[in-house]
Amino acid sequence: MTISRRVFVKAGGLALVSLGLDPLFLGRAAYALGRPFGAPGPILVCLFQRGAVDGLNMIVPHGEPEYYQERPRIAIPATDVVDLDGHFGLHPSLAPLKALWDNKSLAAIHAIGSPDATRSHFDAQDYMETGTPGVKSTADGWANRYCQHDREHANTPFRAVAFGPQLPRALAGSAPSLAIDDLQAFGLRVPQEAARDRLTRAFEELYDGAGTGLLASSSREGFEAVQMLKRADPTQYRPDNGVEYPPGRLGKTLLQIAQLIKADVGLEIAFADCGGWDTHVNQGSSEGQLAARLRELGLALAAFDKDLGDRMRNVVVLTMSEFGRTIHENGNSGTDHGHATAMLALGGPVNGGRVLGRWPGLSAEQRFEGRDVAVTTDFRDLFGEILARHLGATDLGAVFPGYEPSPGRFLGAIRG
Amino acid sequence: MLSIVAAVCLLTAQAPGPGLTARDSAFHALNRLAYGARPGEADSVARVGVMRWIEQQLDADHISDSRLAQREHEFKILHYDRGDLAERFGTAQRERQRRQREMKAGDTTNLDAVGPMREFRDLGGELQQLAIVRAAVSERQLREVMVDFWTNHFNVFVGKGADRFLLPSYIEETIRPRALGRFEDLLIATARSPAMLFYLDNAQSVAPGSAPPRPMMAPFRRRRFGMNELPEDRRRRPTGINENYARELMELHTLGVDGGYTQQDVINVARIFTGWSIQPPERGAGFAYHDWAHDQGDKVVLGQKFESDGEDEGVRLLKFLASQHATMHHVSAKLCARFVADEPPDDCVDAAVAAWQKTHGDIRAVLRAIFTSPDFWAPQVVRAKVKTPFEFVVSAVRAAGIEPDSTPRLARLVGRLGEPLYQQPAPTGYPETEAHWVNSGALLARMNAALMLAKQCSSVPTVPDHSQLVEAIDQKLLGGTMSAHTKSVILEQLADINDPEQARTLAVGLALGGPDFQRQ
Repeated sequence: MTISRRVFVKAGGLALVSLGLDPLFLGRAAYALGRPFGAPGPILVCLFQRGAVDGLNMIVPHGEPEYYQERPRIAIPATDVVDLDGHFGLHPSLAPLKALWDNKSLAAIHAIGSPDATRSHFDAQDYMETGTPGVKSTADGWANRYCQHDREHANTPFRAVAFGPQLPRALAGSAPSLAIDDLQAFGLRVPQEAARDRLTRAFEELYDGAGTGLLASSSREGFEAVQMLKRADPTQYRPDNGVEYPPGRLGKTLLQIAQLIKADVGLEIAFADCGGWDTHVNQGSSEGQLAARLRELGLALAAFDKDLGDRMRNVVVLTMSEFGRTIHENGNSGTDHGHATAMLALGGPVNGGRVLGRWPGLSAEQRFEGRDVAVTTDFRDLFGEILARHLGATDLGAVFPGYEPSPGRFLGAIRG
Repeated sequence: MLSIVAAVCLLTAQAPGPGLTARDSAFHALNRLAYGARPGEADSVARVGVMRWIEQQLDADHISDSRLAQREHEFKILHYDRGDLAERFGTAQRERQRRQREMKAGDTTNLDAVGPMREFRDLGGELQQLAIVRAAVSERQLREVMVDFWTNHFNVFVGKGADRFLLPSYIEETIRPRALGRFEDLLIATARSPAMLFYLDNAQSVAPGSAPPRPMMAPFRRRRFGMNELPEDRRRRPTGINENYARELMELHTLGVDGGYTQQDVINVARIFTGWSIQPPERGAGFAYHDWAHDQGDKVVLGQKFESDGEDEGVRLLKFLASQHATMHHVSAKLCARFVADEPPDDCVDAAVAAWQKTHGDIRAVLRAIFTSPDFWAPQVVRAKVKTPFEFVVSAVRAAGIEPDSTPRLARLVGRLGEPLYQQPAPTGYPETEAHWVNSGALLARMNAALMLAKQCSSVPTVPDHSQLVEAIDQKLLGGTMSAHTKSVILEQLADINDPEQARTLAVGLALGGPDFQRQ
């Protein structure tokens, strides 16, 4: 069904081409069909913290005595915590985000996770990306299913983009989505521009003659995307407001996402990974391994927000991680695999300045299986709310099969 | 006797269909039963007779494959058995933890990229590249295609914990020897394989309330088994059944999603397999059956009663599942999707099922039924399937006369095109359909791959005349099936190029990256 739709859309495009309109205009026209020209739509940026981030040291419950009792070596001293509401506070490495909390565009969600009890990274990531906890054979990801079912947004080649060498599970499926490792190298990898343009035209012609099938329509989409990017000229990109992204992969990725947003190529969902959260050993406290990872995260998110400036009014950034970590520190000054974790949501549409979700507490009888933070918010309630209230999803049942989405369970993460 | 019957069958069978020349038929068979034609191969197969060549491929053991045997010596991974790999992995893991403990704040060293972890990771790259070399070089092409098919059908994700060291023996000892054998044997072998037992969690499925005798506690207490994630699960001894394997066994491996089983069947299958587990790594990480963990009650699956019978219960169940009509239909349809068309034609599937029934699941007989079915030779299926990234890269390597080396270079290329080998996390394996593989990003990546491979092409001679050049490319790379449109576009592009070497590389790149070569 998806195929015939795509072929149909592209067949329409083909007619335009034969009228002598260039592919660049075609891309613009296709995009403009979806919404008024020049009015960019809502955008969701997902950041997957692979390896299970320690939610308790990211959003610190400094008001809980148990937190300090359980973590004599790795707890964040109350004097170091960037207090948010008297009970919770940011890890000091996340201090760059405090201004966003203060202007109410940053919210934290605590005790969130999957109803499935697995403590396997692989299974839990899989469940969070397919959006079907406990069901292993789901073939596509929730973000892709959203694209399949909500068709208000025009399918530009850049509608759903993963930044990395491969498409993550969340974006896998029958709706077109791109994996881009490096925006500057997108397209044919030929060093000289003239040679590149020539080859691009040659391949375009070859596939144009390949009939009306998926090969022809997809290659046309691909070259459209190349043209759109060429116009946006990623090599010349300079972040706005004198922003400097932190060195490292995450900063580079967020810079490229900002670039793509500003290029107005129809981006709706961006997905990126950041790793290094599996802190079994020597996790550290206010300083140390986790602190270093969080510093990079905080600086990169703050830079992204500043770089996009006014455009953040249409953007929601959501961090996610497969599960949290044990309340009790282990014998190696680290933490082991737990259950609930914390997530961050930031951007103009976010109902910020609040820690959302019901906090279950840390005392023995409040824990999951006697050791971990209990899950009080199913991650699908948060993802579903953002999809529905921010992106305008109309069919959450199709995005999260086997799950009964209910606005009654929404946390209020998005402004009404 | 059997071979005489087979030969008679073949003589009477509907061989290559109407409208196909002997050479076109040979090219088609090479596209589907092999990883594409090497230069000149369509002609040589046509000379032998395509049906005779197919019969030779089905009888893989009698094909000499000395060149591959020679190439395999280069791969260190084949020198280690499961126990060796488990031990190396354990050592690497401990070394990684030692380094992590000593790490200073702010040190951003990637611990997986140094020391023994790096060495172990390189072995993983070798394993992938070995698959490429075998697919490209082996004379037993159909067997390599079937190894890929079954590896995907019984998918195991190499990135899940202990599967990082269990997968090599899964490929070598479980899948490869049985790729052209009987389905039932293959099914039982996968069920007993440590790789599958770990991947789909059966290794930790135990009857509720069961407890190991004291010395048996050891495997669950050990902290060094597998990856970081393993001790977590292991430290807390499993306390009940795990349905994962039971469900995928019926949904994916045998009956199919509409195979008529219920959730209660899933639970009962899981109960049957309680106790099927894995030895600790220091004892070789092989299959272990723990009777203490086995659910001793009787079970009913699909209306069939399975009396409590320890380990044999599971074997009986697997034989029962292998002989179900739903299984024959599900697996036959998948084979037809692989060999004939994304939407497999009914007649072809029916022929495969009939052969399955008659031979009790002899894979070669099922394949023979597919290859002799009129649907296999129908004009609308010829060159209608899009190659998967793996098929695309290997067929390009074969057509262009590139000798794949033992570095993971080509394996990485396949990964960049979206099909990193053994790295599909979902038990479904990689899909077979065009809709999955063809999208704008993937096509651009294929064009880039083609331009890169063209530089190493040795099968196309450098000729000054452009028409002759395009003709040579058509013959060597596409078995004479290049479309008139492709020819004219390439010729047009060559018009202002005087350097014959430059012209050759450009033309080969366009041909490999163009639409004709994406199809098989």
